[in-house]
Amino acid sequence: MLNYIWAGLIISSLVFALGYDIRDLSVDKYRNGQPLPVELAFPQGYDSAARRVPVEIRIAPDQYASFYQTDQAPAPSYPGYLVQTKEGVQLRFAAGSKLPEPLATIGKVSKSRDDELQGLLSEFNPPGTNAAVVFEPVQFVKLNAIASAALDFAKTGAEIALGLVGVLSLFLGLLKIAEDSGIVFALVKLVRPILRPLFPEVPADHPALGMIALNLTATLFGLGNAATPFGIKAMEELQKLNPSEDTATNSMVMLMAINTAGIQLVPPVLLLALMGTQINTLIFPILITSVLGMIVAIVAARLLGRLPGYRASDPNRKA
Amino acid sequence: METMRDAISLLSYFVLPLILVGFPLYGLIKRVPVYESFVEGAKEGFQVAVRIIPYLVAILFAIAMFRASGAMEALTKALNPVLGLIGFPAELLPMAIIRSLSGSGSAALVVDMINQYGEDSIFVKMASVMYGSSETTFYVIAVYFGAISIRKTRHAVPAGLIADAAAMLIAVWTVRLLFHG
Repeated sequence: MLNYIWAGLIISSLVFALGYDIRDLSVDKYRNGQPLPVELAFPQGYDSAARRVPVEIRIAPDQYASFYQTDQAPAPSYPGYLVQTKEGVQLRFAAGSKLPEPLATIGKVSKSRDDELQGLLSEFNPPGTNAAVVFEPVQFVKLNAIASAALDFAKTGAEIALGLVGVLSLFLGLLKIAEDSGIVFALVKLVRPILRPLFPEVPADHPALGMIALNLTATLFGLGNAATPFGIKAMEELQKLNPSEDTATNSMVMLMAINTAGIQLVPPVLLLALMGTQINTLIFPILITSVLGMIVAIVAARLLGRLPGYRASDPNRKA
Repeated sequence: METMRDAISLLSYFVLPLILVGFPLYGLIKRVPVYESFVEGAKEGFQVAVRIIPYLVAILFAIAMFRASGAMEALTKALNPVLGLIGFPAELLPMAIIRSLSGSGSAALVVDMINQYGEDSIFVKMASVMYGSSETTFYVIAVYFGAISIRKTRHAVPAGLIADAAAMLIAVWTVRLLFHG
């Protein structure tokens, strides 16, 4: 299943990116090579000898709308500057300008220095203030975007994993103490009646049940930092019971399913920050939803495990 | 409701210190060489993190590409008529889709929706409940199964997705029921 979803994500992103790009190309969304009329004002005066001249750029909304066939409107004026060289005059919008689409995309894609949208100025006859600007041609925006998203998130993936090293070490160290001192064993006895029915493959006195209990407790109290190491340790314990090296057992799927339901008594910190006191009214619906979600997760994990296909791939059955 | 919340959050302040101090203390009482045990266990931390990398990269880059391609908008458009039949608001479809895929993406969507509809809107309430009542399934799968090098996840993905879909629907219904939206 994961194979198909994974491949599906990649292939469909290529298909959709190509589709959008070809559509953009066919309607000439970015008006490549065509001059956009602008009006220039020089707050510090115009100096034809200066290399860099500050300028205020005004774009008429109706002209903009008909030029790009869009309902987005530009701001009354944008700060920017002219760069005058022998090759011609370049118009640059100051970095951080809040540009309307599609100008924002053009600025992003043309990889100009400091994120400044830039184009070549034409029909500029000082001291006249009317001119037109031709931006760099923009093509295959989405195709570029998916490629750079893939590279960015490959980096993010490694960063997230390596960022876990410290916290993982801390909690795996504490867990080792818990194991050696018998805390885990005591916990197993405590939670056995509740967890045993969910994890029938796990022997009654196995430490896996204790780790699962710790994982669920940490999740319940919103301690994501601790929940992940505990969950990983629980998975490691379950793997010790697994006759197969690379195939998940029913218990592992059950633990994963319970974890994806993410039941917790304390609302997520981020939601607290975003919603403020509003969160008080939402705690109850969040709790109901996650409890019901967990029940569905448990039932789904159990029932799907009984399907003939998944039964055949059960490592405990083969052994 | 508020006193219960206060009690729970008060309790949650103590859980972590209890683990951090309680475990070594109990170990000491049981005459376990606590320092040696800790170091022995902590040694694994790096290997586990490194073991997760390929799984996490595989999942994250595929999802990032999917989001960047604009496929989300197309999917939203395609699913819209179907969802109207079961009373699922179109405004929440992006949230429902992205919740299982990306934690940071769904958080950003909540922020977007607050800006767009305001904190009091029923859509923001629904989105918040969706965010708070569910975990990022694909991240959990990558990390938990990656840590023990399990590649054949069997019914983990379908079970997780069924539970997610149910949670999204339940979120809409509960908020409607409680806030008469």
